[in-house]
Amino acid sequence: MKNSLPQLRAERGWSQGDLAERLEVSRQTVNALERGKYDPSLPLAFKIAKLFDRSIETIFDANN
Amino acid sequence: MSQSGSSQTEARVAGSALYGTYVVSLAVSMFGNLLIRIGAEAGFLSPWGMALVGVAASIPLVVAAVMFWRLLRRDLDEMLQRIVLEGFAFALIVYIPLTALYVNLRTAGVWVPRLDPPDLLMGPALLVAIGVALAHRRYQ
Repeated sequence: MKNSLPQLRAERGWSQGDLAERLEVSRQTVNALERGKYDPSLPLAFKIAKLFDRSIETIFDANN
Repeated sequence: MSQSGSSQTEARVAGSALYGTYVVSLAVSMFGNLLIRIGAEAGFLSPWGMALVGVAASIPLVVAAVMFWRLLRRDLDEMLQRIVLEGFAFALIVYIPLTALYVNLRTAGVWVPRLDPPDLLMGPALLVAIGVALAHRRYQ
């Protein structure tokens, strides 16, 4: 699923490791999320949305 | 999901320890099997002794299984859990038809390599490793 995670992360100057730490997942998982190779579970999607203070659908594009 | 940063390193260390424990456990189990077979042929082990060696040699694998369960439930995040579980699913899906094929060919009298218990133990372990590697590649 296409998403704006790389942009949101870059805006805050975070590395993938920083984001992984904040989301309590591995860096590999953040990498897979950003590349659209892995779709997060609903709890993780909510966690991401809360962290970036956005709604899930503005971060993840379900049409891709 | 429950890991990152230092806990990610901890998970990696736990994974390495688990792999080491599993390899050693498998070696102990295979050694036990060898001991039982030699004992049966040479006659230096009673039936009870052989049974005792059989049980004792399997205990390290039980420890490895408990460690694996803890790693899976506690130390891996959702994607890594998925990769491991897909690896196991792959192993099961491939192992069952392969085993059925082997048994059928053997029953039909077709020459197939003789599989000893150590081979039977290694087969699923190898398939899980292949399955995890394939799943890992899919998410990279």
